[in-house]
Amino acid sequence: MAVAAAIACRLLRLRAAGAGGHWRRLRGAGLPRGFLQPASAGEDAAQWRRVAHFTFQPDPEPLEYGQTQKMNLFQAVTSALDNSLAKDPTAVIFGEDVAFGGVFRCTVGLRDKYGKDRVFNTPLCEQGIVGFGIGIAVTGATAIAEIQFADYIFPAFDQIVNEAAKYRYRSGDLFNCGSLTIRAPWGCVGHGAVYHSQSPEAFFAHCPGIKVVVPRSPFQAKGLLLSCIEDKNPCIFFEPKILYRAAVEQVPVEPYNIPLSQAEVIQEGSDVTLVAWGTQVHVIREVASMAQEKLGVSCEVIDLRTIIPWDVDTVCKSAGLETENLKMLTLSSWERQSVIKTGRLLVSHEAPLTGGFASEISSTVQEECFLNLEAPISRVCGYDTPFPHVFEPFYIPDKWKCYDALRKMINY
Amino acid sequence: MRKMLAAVSRVLSGVAQKPASRVLVASRSFANDATFEIKKCDLHRLEEGPPVTTVLTREDGLRYYRMMQTVRRMELKADQLYKQKIIRGFCHLCDGQEACCVGLEAGINPTDHLITAYRAHGFTFTRGLSVREILAELTGRRGGCAKGKGGSMHMYAKNFYGGNGIVGAQGQIFEAYNMAALWKLPCIFICENNRYGMGTSVERAAASTDYYKRGDFIPGLRVDGMDILCVREATRFAAAYCRSGKGPILMELQTYRYHGHSMSDPGVSYRTREEIQEVRSKSDPIMLLKDRMVNSNLASVEELKEIDVEVRKEIEDAAQFATADPEPPLEELGHHIYSSDPPFEVRGANQWIKFKSIS
Repeated sequence: MAVAAAIACRLLRLRAAGAGGHWRRLRGAGLPRGFLQPASAGEDAAQWRRVAHFTFQPDPEPLEYGQTQKMNLFQAVTSALDNSLAKDPTAVIFGEDVAFGGVFRCTVGLRDKYGKDRVFNTPLCEQGIVGFGIGIAVTGATAIAEIQFADYIFPAFDQIVNEAAKYRYRSGDLFNCGSLTIRAPWGCVGHGAVYHSQSPEAFFAHCPGIKVVVPRSPFQAKGLLLSCIEDKNPCIFFEPKILYRAAVEQVPVEPYNIPLSQAEVIQEGSDVTLVAWGTQVHVIREVASMAQEKLGVSCEVIDLRTIIPWDVDTVCKSAGLETENLKMLTLSSWERQSVIKTGRLLVSHEAPLTGGFASEISSTVQEECFLNLEAPISRVCGYDTPFPHVFEPFYIPDKWKCYDALRKMINY
Repeated sequence: MRKMLAAVSRVLSGVAQKPASRVLVASRSFANDATFEIKKCDLHRLEEGPPVTTVLTREDGLRYYRMMQTVRRMELKADQLYKQKIIRGFCHLCDGQEACCVGLEAGINPTDHLITAYRAHGFTFTRGLSVREILAELTGRRGGCAKGKGGSMHMYAKNFYGGNGIVGAQGQIFEAYNMAALWKLPCIFICENNRYGMGTSVERAAASTDYYKRGDFIPGLRVDGMDILCVREATRFAAAYCRSGKGPILMELQTYRYHGHSMSDPGVSYRTREEIQEVRSKSDPIMLLKDRMVNSNLASVEELKEIDVEVRKEIEDAAQFATADPEPPLEELGHHIYSSDPPFEVRGANQWIKFKSIS
């Protein structure tokens, strides 16, 4: 009680001392060091400044698509949208604030280039944006809707799940809204907190009729986005916002497609399979090299890329599948040579553990490959809490948590 | 054929007519058209509304009568089939509201686009689908307009986007009003106000029951939805307004449904039978049109009765088809989820069941 009173007094003094929202450090105030200080104050700033939990690893320059240019993720998205609007005269881009270039600069320059009839702002109504997009798509035009943050996609959930996803099915293929693509910034960003960091892919995974895609890099983003736009099904394209500036790569200037529903084996291995998507791919890549270095364990790293419909074959073949069953599946030529049977699977994502997409992967893999598994499938995910602000470094499944889970799987 | 019809009509009308007088009827001269006075519409943010008089030609009159009668009989047949459990699931009937769908169609072009909610059978018919296709869709057979997979609420046709199971759209509609007004979209928003939302009367559900004013910045009109001529004129007015580029407009049609909200709702727990009876006897749309036509010599009672008979037969045939047509094959369960090439597999209720999805 006395302690509470004491703290209350100090807080009052603090408030008096630091009016205007700028907290000042109280030397010798008896408060825990660093309490109530802004993150960038004084010489302790280095301690406090958050280090990103991953290191972006660019892929080698692609040579088969012509001239390339150094682009970060948002520039790659702009390039893809530019290509789409140039190629398809019915394509339109709309959303909140897209006209001036977008809050993440993904649509910079497009309105000047293509006119205000093709790149325009909508009022602040996500449900209306998606509903409007569905309507345009049904008439046959290509609709590219932007939701300002994936966290705000929930008012449009009804439109996506009940209208867009079911349009073709309920009309017996008479009508469809396949030319709709919804883009939204996704995932943690270091300071996003509850409503600027969410990864809602699991909610949409439960809905047949739409496709959900998450790229890991600028090169992947442009190819996957162009595939989504051209795909004849409504697609949701989540762009990891922390990679908008942090990820820089050589990206082809001309349009190109990366196929949907195909996972990519980024690194081959024989002991453990690691699966992730978006930013988390870079985390598990680091985990793979840590495992190789410290444990001598060879990891296979897979980027899922499309969340639904997801590439069951690649993951199962990697985690473990009897050779006989392989005849039933279609194999690409290089995969045919390397039938990898690791028997261990680790899936990682930022979204909360319960009901996250890792549970679907885990469940399917144990159904398909039960006898081939050497250890229980490991899911390294966010906690079952809303996405925290201050606790973000504790919340996200960083490389140490993944490494720890991997070690436990190896020693099972 | 004519003799058979004449015989049937004689039996039905119970009037003894010699063949000679039948010929008389055929050569009796009717008026080509007649002018009628219609109720003035209430206006919101409009200086002038639709005209208060309209001209109805004999041809149009007969066509509207036939269409309304078809919709009425089709709905009653659906009611019958539902009670026989040949139609399952949900079934929202629109008998009583025929003037709305037929009047609306009379005021627009076939190339205009129409979308509606779940009380859609009437609109599906007026937009061009046959009764056979509609009833077969209700019974879930492959002859149905959505191949039997959509049912009552998901019927689609050219320039008709359904048939949608809309609920909870109160917020969405204001977003739509905003966008339509902002971008001056040529859109007529129509409220078929049948006085009840499922079981709640409008007075108990809406802070303002003047729905035609709820568009706020969008002009609106309130129309007598039981009088087909009123609906037609209002629709023509609204369509002209939109086509002239002035932006969206709202139309509230005051109408009534005889059945309950859906087939699971008896329709009498929140309103009295007397009320239903009163509307039926005073404002039935088909009766109103019939009286007008007969009284102005646009048609004879016998002629209209003939139409009744023909319509009845058509509906019977359609019901027969709808009952006898086979159901869509089980393989269709997985089709048209995605547009996919090549076809892919859809997982079933357990891991050993798989369907192929083609689109």
